Amino acid sequence: MTNAKRILRGEGWYLFFLLPAVCLFILAVVVPLAMGARYSFSSWDGVSPTIAYNGWDNYVKAFQDKDLWRALWNTFKYAIILTILINALSLFLALLLDSYLKFRNVFRTVFFLPSVISIVLSGFVWNYNYSQGFPKLFAYFGVDMTSPLGNPDYAMIGLIIVALWQGIGSPMIIYIAGLQGIPGELLESAKMDGATTWKSFRHITFPLLAPSLTINLLLVMTGALKVFDLVYVTTKGGPGFATEVMSTYIYRTSFDNFKAGYGMTLSMIFFLVLVIVTVAQVGIFRRREVDL
Amino acid sequence: MKITKISVFALVTLLAVLFIFPLYVAVLMAFKSAKQTFDSFYAWPSSLDFSNFVQAWNTSEYPKAIFNSLIITVISVALIIIASALAGYSIARRNKPFYNFVFLLFLSGMMVPFQVTMLPLYKLGKSLQLVDSHWGIALIYGGFGVQMGVLFFSGFVRGISREIEEAARIDGCSTPGIFFRIIMPLLKPVTATVVVLNVLYIWNDFLLPLLYLQGKDFRTIPLQQYFFFGQYSSDLNLAFAYAVMGMVPIVVFFLFMQRFIVKGIAAGAIKG
Repeated sequence: MTNAKRILRGEGWYLFFLLPAVCLFILAVVVPLAMGARYSFSSWDGVSPTIAYNGWDNYVKAFQDKDLWRALWNTFKYAIILTILINALSLFLALLLDSYLKFRNVFRTVFFLPSVISIVLSGFVWNYNYSQGFPKLFAYFGVDMTSPLGNPDYAMIGLIIVALWQGIGSPMIIYIAGLQGIPGELLESAKMDGATTWKSFRHITFPLLAPSLTINLLLVMTGALKVFDLVYVTTKGGPGFATEVMSTYIYRTSFDNFKAGYGMTLSMIFFLVLVIVTVAQVGIFRRREVDL
Repeated sequence: MKITKISVFALVTLLAVLFIFPLYVAVLMAFKSAKQTFDSFYAWPSSLDFSNFVQAWNTSEYPKAIFNSLIITVISVALIIIASALAGYSIARRNKPFYNFVFLLFLSGMMVPFQVTMLPLYKLGKSLQLVDSHWGIALIYGGFGVQMGVLFFSGFVRGISREIEEAARIDGCSTPGIFFRIIMPLLKPVTATVVVLNVLYIWNDFLLPLLYLQGKDFRTIPLQQYFFFGQYSSDLNLAFAYAVMGMVPIVVFFLFMQRFIVKGIAAGAIKG
């Protein structure tokens, strides 16, 4: 009996230790998610105290909603282009910084610096640079330039450049860490066998970087699909619908247009899309990784 | 060989200049008057003039915003560290289905994007009176942060040998005693990692404060900046002075903690 009691007391402490984290998690994630799933079946406006449920109506409506498809298309366009650019540039920088280079720590700091600034700030700074700074600079060379953010054809590219500027930091560090994990003997023996720089990169460095590549593609992609702040503080989804992404579309539907029920339906669909993308990505990349 | 080295160096320098350029323009603007900017955009300011900063300080409630940001960040990070260290320890030491299930729950929680829960979160915050309060928003940040925190702490604790613990237990030390006297002091490196990652996120976050801190007295730095930029969009030199003031604390933090940030990101990638 005393034995059982002691075991229970021992286990009790461990369960008690779980409690704070589980409570916080339930408050911030589980309850809102469950509430959201419920609201997605309602025509709630977000303010009124009564909520009318309307079954699957919202979901049927969503599949016919042209704006939803456009927002999804924009989101994926933004995320895919950004993922490719960030990974290419940060891998390139990591390779340069990993090779012997003077002041490499200074350079690393410089390339990481933009990521520590809040997006409100960088959005503001870039907005101004786009409309005043760069045109004035290009004017020296006789080139006319207007802010890409004001032009529906270029607004998305304008945003991607800002996100690229701010997003290079962590992927670069992950690549550097990955490069430092590659044994030097491998590259040395390749060099002795007469492999060119490109060949040893293609056949040794790159395959061994696969885990870093996987994690970077995953992190950048999921982060980019969720983009909100940058769009909200610079273009607000405009001009027209050119940069409206899922997050801003959900925000606008729920808060500005008072269609909270429908906004939640959109959120649930978006959540599902994200889960599918994440699972698919993990599945695809884990398979072709090389174990060291 | 020498030529390659020089050209690589030149290329990296060029890229670095491109990266710094937008910030350089911001600092330039902050020190100049509207007339100086108009006369010559890229010229250096004629004298080191802090009047923009003084004026921004006086009109923007900068100290209050810094105070709000500081207190929210500190409370949130403290909550995250305590909660996830305790839970991470439990999960690492009890290798039982229930604990593994809780661990998986935290992991899958990381897939839920904030945008999906923001509206219910807002309603929940209103009904529980978490809105317009430092503690309220900190509890939510706590809930977000423990997911990654538990991952880091449980991974780290798994790497600590159990022998010391078992010896302490034979000597009659209780579970809390073991945790606070033996494990806690060993957790310093992973704590530093979790702290820096969360500080960067919480200090710069915009969306949650936009929802939760609508009262003027509770605005954090990014939120205050957002409204300030809207208000002073015609007086850009002033707005830029404010922007630079907003950058200073986090950049200083970054420069001092860089070592931990770099380590933390690399460690996080391996865990993930």
